[in-house]
Amino acid sequence: MSVSLSLAQASLPAPMDGVTLAHYLVVSAAMFAIGLVGFLTRRNLIIMFLCTELMFQAAGIALIAFSRFHLHMTGQTFVIFVLTVAAAEAALALALVVLLYRRKDSLSAEEWAEMKG
Amino acid sequence: MGDVRPLPLGGAAVRRRRVSSVRCLDGALDAVINPYLLYVGLALGGLGVCMALPRRRVSPQVLGAVLAGLGLGVVLLGLGLRSERLPNYNFYIFSAIALGAALRVITHPRPVYAALYFILTILASCGLYLVLAAEFMAFALVIIYAGAILITYLFVIMLATQAPSEGELEALAEYDAEARSPVAATVASFVLLAALTTMLFGGAGDLRPRDGAGLDAPIEMMPQRAERSLHEEGLIAAGDEVVGVDAAAWTATLRSGEVVALPASARLTNVERIGHDLLAEHPGSIEIAGVILLMAMLGATVLSRRQVELEDDAKRRQSERLAAAGTVFADREANP
Repeated sequence: MSVSLSLAQASLPAPMDGVTLAHYLVVSAAMFAIGLVGFLTRRNLIIMFLCTELMFQAAGIALIAFSRFHLHMTGQTFVIFVLTVAAAEAALALALVVLLYRRKDSLSAEEWAEMKG
Repeated sequence: MGDVRPLPLGGAAVRRRRVSSVRCLDGALDAVINPYLLYVGLALGGLGVCMALPRRRVSPQVLGAVLAGLGLGVVLLGLGLRSERLPNYNFYIFSAIALGAALRVITHPRPVYAALYFILTILASCGLYLVLAAEFMAFALVIIYAGAILITYLFVIMLATQAPSEGELEALAEYDAEARSPVAATVASFVLLAALTTMLFGGAGDLRPRDGAGLDAPIEMMPQRAERSLHEEGLIAAGDEVVGVDAAAWTATLRSGEVVALPASARLTNVERIGHDLLAEHPGSIEIAGVILLMAMLGATVLSRRQVELEDDAKRRQSERLAAAGTVFADREANP
């Protein structure tokens, strides 16, 4: 029962039951909830974007768990696109954060409270 | 006039759907976990997360983390009570590290440490990927997330965080030291989590496990791949070649008409399966991903090249900060 054994499962996968799948799903859902709490409570723009990455990561764990449960590769393929979107989001969001920081000299999200109208 | 039939979306279909959702709520959920244990665990977790969030005065972070861990433990215990086969013990280690580090990401008042804890979350999720037999994605995650994305985050954090001019506490920006409406945010998130787990567990209780027979089906399109592993095992004569592969029977038909059983080394690896799925099942999607990345790169370059004027408020604050830093520096020069 080690990592090497589960690597060997890649060639001869054993079926996985629904309760085992639920273990992974609860970890994924809890990580998503923690990311959401962070996004709502933190006031630093960079940490808020870090929390969205946490939520992407939670989605990735759920996709991989479903891929393993159904023994179907599309779940793993979709993680590639989660990574793509996360990378694109990081590039654009960080460029925006740098721009906002240059204008207000602060990373606080509340500096931009006037944008809510 | 033909006979008018009632629309099929009438009472029967709606009633059937309602019955199935009710069954999902008690029957299927109860097959996976005792609902009381689930909700008690989630409530404990929510209380713990709420206590661990940064506050100005006393913040009982250790107590909060212990409570949140206890909540997770209660939920995992409830799941374990209904399962004959527990998951690999690595699952418990990696998920505890991942969720603990995730909690630290949202509670640590210093952004650099939050980013470093996020890298720990990524590494622990890679462990979960390995337990789930997704090696390629695990290593891709380390390279892309921990190697590229998080380094970018760290650089931006270092660029945009003011250097500490005086003692430890003053170096913390005001907006990092205190969470915004922690109770409301935690309640909203954990109500969402309760709804999410109820739905997911109801579905997971209904799913039946499958065998992996379909996983090796793509080898029927790769006779040369089968031929190579037959050659490596010495099961095929030097001049002979494979003309057809039957994945279900796990045999290959040779040009000489002979049918041989394929060796275990002919099983496709994780990378071969992902590559086949990506290019055969989702053609064109990799191009779209490439275009998204290119546009993001161009967009980021264009955005960060723009020169912006400091607003008056920010100008005043910056000059105050520079003046304060200058005084400290002068003090240090005067009495080292």
